[in-house]
Amino acid sequence: MATEAVGGETPTLFLRKATGLVRGWSVRDTIIYACLATNFVTLGIYEFTFAGPAFPKGQMITAVIISGIWVSFLVIAYAGLIVTIPRAGGDYVWQTRILGSGLGFVMAATGWWFILWLWAPIYGNILSVQLFEPLWATLGWTWPGGGAAWFGTNNGIFVVTLITIVLAGILVSLGMSSYARIQKWCFIGGMIGFAVVVVLLLFNSHASFVSSFNLEAHKLFGVNNAYHATNVAAAKAGYTTSGLGFGPLGASFLLVPAMMFFLLWPNWGATLYGEIRGASDFRRVFTGMFTGLWITVILTVIFLLLMAKTVGWGFYQNLNSLDYNLTPQFGIWPYPFMFAGWLVHNTAFQVILILVLSLWFFGWVGTLFLSSTRVIFAAAFDRVLPDRAAEVSEKRKVPLYSLILMLLPAVGLAAVYAYSATFRTYTLDATLVIAVTYLFSAIAVVILPWRKPELWRASPASRIKVFGVPIVPVSGVITIGLLGFCLYEWLSNSLYFVNSRDSLYFMGAMYVLAVILFIVARVVRRRQGIDLGMINKEIPVE
Amino acid sequence: MKVFFATDIHGSEVCWRKFLNAAAFYKVDMVVLGGDVTGKAMVPIVAHPGGRWQVTVRGQAYTLESEQELEEIKKQIRNAGSYPAMVSPDELQEMSKTEGAVDRRFTVEMTQSLDRWLDMADGKLRGGDIPCILNGGNDDIWEIDDIIEQSPCVSFGEGKMLDLDGFSLVSMGWTNPTPWDTFREAPEPELAAKIETVVSQIPDMERAIFNFHAPPYGTGLDEAPALDGNLRPMHGGAVMKPVGSTAVRDAILQHQPMLSVHGHIHESRAVKKMGRTLAINPGSVYGDGVLQGAVLDLNPKKGKVAKYLLVNG
Repeated sequence: MATEAVGGETPTLFLRKATGLVRGWSVRDTIIYACLATNFVTLGIYEFTFAGPAFPKGQMITAVIISGIWVSFLVIAYAGLIVTIPRAGGDYVWQTRILGSGLGFVMAATGWWFILWLWAPIYGNILSVQLFEPLWATLGWTWPGGGAAWFGTNNGIFVVTLITIVLAGILVSLGMSSYARIQKWCFIGGMIGFAVVVVLLLFNSHASFVSSFNLEAHKLFGVNNAYHATNVAAAKAGYTTSGLGFGPLGASFLLVPAMMFFLLWPNWGATLYGEIRGASDFRRVFTGMFTGLWITVILTVIFLLLMAKTVGWGFYQNLNSLDYNLTPQFGIWPYPFMFAGWLVHNTAFQVILILVLSLWFFGWVGTLFLSSTRVIFAAAFDRVLPDRAAEVSEKRKVPLYSLILMLLPAVGLAAVYAYSATFRTYTLDATLVIAVTYLFSAIAVVILPWRKPELWRASPASRIKVFGVPIVPVSGVITIGLLGFCLYEWLSNSLYFVNSRDSLYFMGAMYVLAVILFIVARVVRRRQGIDLGMINKEIPVE
Repeated sequence: MKVFFATDIHGSEVCWRKFLNAAAFYKVDMVVLGGDVTGKAMVPIVAHPGGRWQVTVRGQAYTLESEQELEEIKKQIRNAGSYPAMVSPDELQEMSKTEGAVDRRFTVEMTQSLDRWLDMADGKLRGGDIPCILNGGNDDIWEIDDIIEQSPCVSFGEGKMLDLDGFSLVSMGWTNPTPWDTFREAPEPELAAKIETVVSQIPDMERAIFNFHAPPYGTGLDEAPALDGNLRPMHGGAVMKPVGSTAVRDAILQHQPMLSVHGHIHESRAVKKMGRTLAINPGSVYGDGVLQGAVLDLNPKKGKVAKYLLVNG
């Protein structure tokens, strides 16, 4: 038998040649996944339209950096869970094993399955405002009725959401192999597109931007002296912005719960890590998610600084405030990259730039359902869901039933989202429900050393210490602080549009549905003679 | 009849102890371990004069000062699926330099460990009152076969048809080729021939159970990370590909036993209905000290699996 000695001249470990002993995987791919999940283009810039006007005294850069630091502890906590219980299913597996089957199912079903139905129309809306609207506007297309503005109508939002759902379904059906390749190229293309924007904004003056903006706005939208008109319109609406700076801290902290809309997801691939050999390598797992998160933070700061330098901070915020007040300056969402493209007076260039930057969307859209299908699989293997939920068609390798469980409700919710302007304001519900799931995973990591002492002792996470203190549970406590703060703000401050009665009913209904599903599963399985309570019961050792 | 099936415990002593207790815990009539019983790693514990030992476990170096500490670390190593190897500094140097020395020591540790395990089994399985079937897997050395054969309370299943209360269980630990070139590997046509040899002994396919270490190809029971030429997972490890056996798949589809249990691909915990056959891979997380398995309730009248539950014991 072939063996390998580890530890140099005085070996500390001998490995014999056996199945599954593989080398560590490339961290680069994990970084790309984390970076696309915390997508500063599709999610970040989209969120700024809301966050800036809602909290005008808050400082974006300060909030982004505070969020980045705080979420880094979530990354440590999740890396700890991943290396301790490296299983496909992520939060579902950890919570069911550490906190209990019922709680784990409810948290995972709401946070990784049901709430993704709401994310579908949000993704659709982002596709509308970052691809269709600017593309139609740039090309001057007037079909369908209203041209670019049609995509912001109820029908427009619904149609584009359906396109998004189909697209996400196809990408999941292609399988991870094809999608990983697509993601990689989308990431590279998206970064090139952003680099072009950086060059444009860095090497053009503010005056040059103003004149370009006025010229193109007149050409495409027939608005005269648009730059000045935007500022006047915002002032008239009573909006006053603060200059870009770093304080005050209190008001900037209020932006943190809004920043979670994009910065809370470096661990989005967590449900996939379970399938990786060598996942018990804390450093690799941590580095992938952490680097992805901080690339996003750095890109965001670069973007915000360039907006201040060339576009004008007050103007950028005024554009956002007009959209926030449902009176967007050009009748469409103010896409900053479209305005950056206006610095080059060439339609072909502007179109190409919009298309290249849309790669941030296409590399990301597959994340909509991919992780959810893994959670559905895990719940089906535990017999909580019917066996069919985990079936994969032999011919096409498509997880048909789990996709149906994702797609059909998403279509229904897309209709509600598209045709109810009020429902559309519940965007942050999508973040809140997942944050609750994360909260319970953070609790799980904190109590892990007591609940599963053997597992903890055997975990590489238990040996990551600072001044003798294991940092993984401590990071769990800090994560609970972050999520607790965000939940408190979301539920107590109406500026986040989350704590209205209907929004709470909507979210509450998801938890009720999950509880009902679990109870029904227990009853049905008991009748079948299957005790779901046995799934995670530990066999005595002695 | 109720059966508990687990697989791929790879030397984890805590999983073995749990396996032995599974019959009482799940109230089953029989326990089956589907192969890959032996561990993959050996941890040298270097003994120094004066009752001091040095060992590195999971990258952390320890100096042990008492027998109690030594026993505790040995237990940790065994529970993780590795073999503690007591050596002197000179022995360690010799082992590193002499060709084949590590292999020989590995074999000694594996066989001694298995002997100890089988002694434990005698007490737990009431001297054979509870049927226990063990099988080799592709990672298991040949030396284990005779040791299991000689055990009074454990039956060695490899290549045999065992009659279990009206059910026929056939076992095979061979797999299709892997990138690691392990012990019991054979090309698909050869594997198909081996399967036919063992399956031909079955009198009634309606009450047949296949216990084949290799999972059937392309069924979801055989998804492993795609690897590049250097055995590194591709695309961040998120890309999976089927690596099971086409011979096993074809045999199941052709013969349609009531149940087919598999292992080999630890991360591919899954259940698949293949015609009338229920195919199961309970997966393995032996490194965590958790014994994954399947509790199977077999209906002898109908010749089918009445119910099943995948458990994390």
